[in-house]
Amino acid sequence: MRTGSRSAKIVTAVAAAVVIAVVWSGCAPPPAAPTEPYRAPRTAGGAPDLNGIWQSLNTANYDIQAHAARPALALAPAPPRTGAPGLDRATPIALPAPQVRALGAVGGVPAGEGVVEGDEIPYLPAAAAIKKENAEHWLERDPEIKCFMPGVPRATYMPYPFQILQGTDTILMVYEFAGTTRTIHMNDVVDSPSETWMGLSRGHWDGDTLVVDVTDFNDQTWFDRAGNFHSNALHVVERYTPVSPHHLMYEATIEDPNVFSRPWTISMPLYRRFEEDKQILEYKCVEFVEEAMYGHLGLIDPGTGQANK
Amino acid sequence: MRTNLAILLAGLGIAIAAVPVSGHHAFAAEFDANNPIKMSGTVTKMEWINPHTWIHIDVKQPDGSVEPWMIEGGPPNALYRRGFTRDSLPVGIEILVEGFRAKDGSRRGNGTDLTFPDGSKLFLGSSGTGAPR
Amino acid sequence: MSYRHIVAAGTLAAASVIAAFALGSAAAQDSEGGPAPEAGAWSQSRTAWGDPDFQGVWRYEADIPLERPSQLEGRELLTDEEVAQREEIEADQQAKRLEGFEGGAVGRLSIAESPIRGNEYNSFWQDHGRPRQVYKQTSLIVDPRDGQIPYTPDARKAAARSTARYGVGPFESYLDPDTGERCLTDGVTAMMWQGPNGGHNQFVQSPGFVTILHEEFRDRRVIPVDGRAHGNIRQWFGDAVGHWEGDTLVVDTTNFLDRTNYEWASIWTRPSETLHLVERFTRISADMMDYQITIEDPTTFSGAWTAVIPISRLADDTQIYEYACHEGNYAMPNLLSGARADAAKKSASPR
Repeated sequence: MRTGSRSAKIVTAVAAAVVIAVVWSGCAPPPAAPTEPYRAPRTAGGAPDLNGIWQSLNTANYDIQAHAARPALALAPAPPRTGAPGLDRATPIALPAPQVRALGAVGGVPAGEGVVEGDEIPYLPAAAAIKKENAEHWLERDPEIKCFMPGVPRATYMPYPFQILQGTDTILMVYEFAGTTRTIHMNDVVDSPSETWMGLSRGHWDGDTLVVDVTDFNDQTWFDRAGNFHSNALHVVERYTPVSPHHLMYEATIEDPNVFSRPWTISMPLYRRFEEDKQILEYKCVEFVEEAMYGHLGLIDPGTGQANK
Repeated sequence: MRTNLAILLAGLGIAIAAVPVSGHHAFAAEFDANNPIKMSGTVTKMEWINPHTWIHIDVKQPDGSVEPWMIEGGPPNALYRRGFTRDSLPVGIEILVEGFRAKDGSRRGNGTDLTFPDGSKLFLGSSGTGAPR
Repeated sequence: MSYRHIVAAGTLAAASVIAAFALGSAAAQDSEGGPAPEAGAWSQSRTAWGDPDFQGVWRYEADIPLERPSQLEGRELLTDEEVAQREEIEADQQAKRLEGFEGGAVGRLSIAESPIRGNEYNSFWQDHGRPRQVYKQTSLIVDPRDGQIPYTPDARKAAARSTARYGVGPFESYLDPDTGERCLTDGVTAMMWQGPNGGHNQFVQSPGFVTILHEEFRDRRVIPVDGRAHGNIRQWFGDAVGHWEGDTLVVDTTNFLDRTNYEWASIWTRPSETLHLVERFTRISADMMDYQITIEDPTTFSGAWTAVIPISRLADDTQIYEYACHEGNYAMPNLLSGARADAAKKSASPR
């Protein structure tokens, strides 16, 4: 019975390995599939409690689609080098544009997996061309550079924390960047009298999920630093779902018939900033951009002290 | 005492607390108080923005050509509270502008007085057009 | 319907004036002379966790000047007769305002005749819709007793210089207009009561925080009331911590950035590293809040000073609108262009 005892030894060895593996992993064996989703604690008023300071942790603000690392946000192609003996470089190389070159690795763009479900943004053909132009003219066109309000959903995944404050009938989203604040109306509210940067937000609860319907946008914001954009017909539906005491799952469905052929969705975790006494600090960046925007327009350039031509 | 109060209240219109009642405005830096303008034009666009609204009008010239002008209004927030919205000044409507020209001579002015051709004031709600619903 | 908030007559010590406001020790009467709500009929609204509830949109709607005008020197309160006369004049101006008298209280008859400043636009751009509350204070400042801002000599000179150059310049660069013209901020000191356009303040409360959203410049304060200590990061709005004393919210703010080297429309609102604010917010009725602020800053003032400001609550459906000032600031490039045009004219025409 040599085979049998050898099989038995193998089986025993495998079983032992499994036991060892389980013991080594330091956890109990995984439980059966959970039958109930996480249920958030309640506020004193009985609503799911999403109060706190949250922050995304990804590269979506660089580019919401999957992307390789690249040298800089603004690139200039090095022209092909041909005709000189021993030198023959037919393919242009993308180098950092002169305006950003000195930043070196601080100015580079890290790689990222993207947050768009399916990774495809369904641009209409004419709009796809505009997106490409936006990317090529990032330095002149990205509203983030000028400290303009970031719009929705970009505000959620900029590299700054934001705070959710649940009042009576009103939920505030307080973003650090440019002192931007959104008011989520939990009761009836009339349409906004004008187009706005951050939209008009109407919220309601779907179980533990805060659903926010956002309309009344202008066409001025981008979705990231890669030139993804929208028109003033933009309509966004966000879902904030608590999945643990320290995590929300965030989804945003974007619809804009002037720009996209169908709605599309992004999603990402949001992480609680649970450091004691954490606060949203000021990033009042208008002051930071005045020199770039206006320095050359007056009689004197404060940056140099010289008269402007 | 009444006279004192009248003087006092008149003074309230102008900077008791060193801030003009109309809020921030470097009027004299942008516009030339010695260069008044008076023109009528048809509205092509109104920007309902802060810190000032801007009304774009086409002004017909004697030779039949049309010049685009930008007229600066006040901030929109008080108007929103009185029921006015982005649709309240329809494209194509004619308005009269009295104000002052931009210092740099460009086709920009400040709309100190904005009226309709029938003399009624813009955004006061009694003439029908532009009234809150 | 307007309320009369009648300050108890009697001793006029600053402390008692403050106390009279703080306790709301006044009878209320509606303007038609109808029956007043019963004394004590209103009880403090509370949040679900028991704090006084300030939520809603509030605004300062009285006409009390910050500093006591020289015509009223030595007088802390107006008489009932003076108050009635003032109401008459204001009602008259209110009625005339939309019928052809434009601009400020002066009433502008024609562009040529009246001073531009304060009258740059028809008054329909301003928010004068609601009947004003009526008060007898002759100045918002109750301490010092003379109702004047106690400037240091240097700050007084700076204030005079700032007033003289307001709107006039010179403007060599974007640094020369004031912070409001630059769409930065008007600061936090006067946030609760300044602003004819956008002076609205929305309060939102959640456990551990009282948040105030100011419409103009979308300024905001998220004030922790959980007993934490001050942090150590300087900001334009400093670092505010609040706590409840009975039904009064007391907010202490320090750690301001030094922005005294910028132009300010009102020097007394400029932050410096030594600025310290103590504010007391008390809701004294369904419609009224008593707001007191004590300002001390040896960089600008020779002593602490205190203002008492009555704040009114607006209708429940009142909203704060988005204020995208910097995003729409055509005025900045325009005024710089105007300054260059002026300079070119001057150099083109030699004297």
